[in-house]
Amino acid sequence: MNIDRVLGAGAILLAIPVGVASWGFGVGSVKSPGAGFWPLVIAAAMGLLGLSLLLAPGPVQPAPRISDSRWVKFGIALGTLGLYAFALVPLGYLLTTAIMLVIQFRWVEGRSWRSSTTIAVLAAVVSYAVFRVLLKVSLPVGVIPLPNGW
Amino acid sequence: MDTIQALYHGLSIAVTPGNLLAVLLGSFIGTVIGVLPGLGPTATIALLLPITIGMNMVTALIMLAGIYYGAMYGGSTTSILVNIPGEAASVVTCIDGYQMARKGRAGPALGMSAFGSFFGGTFSVVAVMLISPFLAETALKFGAPEMFALLFLAFTCISGLTGASRARGLLMACAGLLLGVVGTDDIQGVDRFVFSTLYLQDGIGLIPLAMGIFGLGEIFYNIEQREADRSLIETPKSLLPTLKDWKDSTWPMIRGSILGFGIGIIPGGMPAVASLMSYALEKRVAKRPETFGQGAIEGVAGPETANNAATAGGFVPLLTLGIPTNSVLALMLAAMMLHGVTPGPLLLLKWPDVFWGVIASMYIGNIMLLVLNLPMIGLFVQILKVPYGILSPLIIMFVMLGAYALKGSVSDLVATLLFGVVGYLMKRFGIDPAPLILAFVLGPMLENNLSKSLLMSGGNVLFLFSRPISGTLLVLAILVLVCPVFLWGWRSVKRRLGEGGTA
Repeated sequence: MNIDRVLGAGAILLAIPVGVASWGFGVGSVKSPGAGFWPLVIAAAMGLLGLSLLLAPGPVQPAPRISDSRWVKFGIALGTLGLYAFALVPLGYLLTTAIMLVIQFRWVEGRSWRSSTTIAVLAAVVSYAVFRVLLKVSLPVGVIPLPNGW
Repeated sequence: MDTIQALYHGLSIAVTPGNLLAVLLGSFIGTVIGVLPGLGPTATIALLLPITIGMNMVTALIMLAGIYYGAMYGGSTTSILVNIPGEAASVVTCIDGYQMARKGRAGPALGMSAFGSFFGGTFSVVAVMLISPFLAETALKFGAPEMFALLFLAFTCISGLTGASRARGLLMACAGLLLGVVGTDDIQGVDRFVFSTLYLQDGIGLIPLAMGIFGLGEIFYNIEQREADRSLIETPKSLLPTLKDWKDSTWPMIRGSILGFGIGIIPGGMPAVASLMSYALEKRVAKRPETFGQGAIEGVAGPETANNAATAGGFVPLLTLGIPTNSVLALMLAAMMLHGVTPGPLLLLKWPDVFWGVIASMYIGNIMLLVLNLPMIGLFVQILKVPYGILSPLIIMFVMLGAYALKGSVSDLVATLLFGVVGYLMKRFGIDPAPLILAFVLGPMLENNLSKSLLMSGGNVLFLFSRPISGTLLVLAILVLVCPVFLWGWRSVKRRLGEGGTA
């Protein structure tokens, strides 16, 4: 599969709805361009470039092969971060970050339980101390009761 | 203000304790991330932007600039010692630097690359200082048509210079322009592509975009590409090059400085391009080109000088025209805007402290890096020994922290994650993300100036060509855009004819 063809087809498929939506914003005229003028220009350029990539793609470059176990690790890393985004505010920075790091160290990087938990907890606490306490960056406190000023 | 006097004023700003600390911190952080493969200056600056909000504006910019040129110093260390480029701009340093190290000459290679970096960096800062006021003065006379033409030229250069395929680069640039359209339109207040969400009304943030694509994308990519063999070469005892090394490196350093500065001021002319071109140039002019690839010191001195010269050169279009020429500088632009400074021709008039303070700090930074780097090489080698398996989750932690901290927004976190996946896919299929990021930044400026020009002209597009400056710039842009197409067409015709002839 040639990546240029995929990109070209994708660009054309995207250019059509973008162009249609641009009409909706009000294209105006060359004398006084409306809010849709610029996106319409972009859509036209995208369509043309997509067409040129589809018709005259560059040479095929084989994508590097990926073993199944790597896919699993990638899935774990991505999934954990997705959950992280949703748990951060309710659970707080310290707890969420520590859990996220344990999972990354243990299952993505394959470290032992002991080293995973040690580094994870240490990193979460140190980063919290530096950014929240020292640099006053606002981070969610969450469920862990912390002393004043933390 | 006369240049010398202005520089003196800049130095008096740069040597205040807080700013000196910022130079030191910036160049140190820069060197460390330059040493570490997998985290580049773009992601680091994106990461640190949130914490610079509370800082004084000049101090923040001095620190961020330090990270950028510090990374260029640090990048060569990994290339020479472990044959893994810490930075894209140090890829060519692997070729001869690593060969030198294998022959027990890691010390001179490291030493020469530090001296070269210092030389190139300093040369460029002087050039920036001399050229910028003149350029800014010229640019002050620019109206919307000139600005549009200039931005359009920048846009075509960026898409043409970066990456392997031109059409792909242009398409990525279009994608960047499209992302830049998202949000409430400034002029007419129309919501464009916001899909009825409050988050998108403000537009897509540069920080989530940059951190996702350059930070997370890289990490995701490295999860599957397990690290190459890191058989570390012993920490060298002496870093001083021999007299012959100096002699061999003098001209490559001079050529590298001029070439690097020239490339640096062209949009799309990234330090990586400068170092590649310098290597090619040195190989071509060398008396014994066969030594290249076997540990020729010219192959280290030239490119390492060139990438630092390009780094500083990039500040010319950024500070005088408000045009970032690569993704790191796009983030510097974002940093300035965050502090209420608009880079462009007015910067020198309205915020002379920013301009001269940053320039003066770069002199100090280059000296600091030279003084710091040589004795601290042992420490950097130790940093290299930290396994990637420990680093990558920690980098993820910093990316997530930075993404959230900028606005305290979970939506930014989700956006960063999505762009991380995009960045991963781009990296995996060999697509250069630079045109996308730059077009994203330039897009709103392009639109704004195009609208104004069209209004001015009363709908006559030829009006843009009738003004001398904008006309010249537009013709240049069209040449940049069209020439390669003709060349390509001509080659394919020739190829077909050739095939027809042999059949």
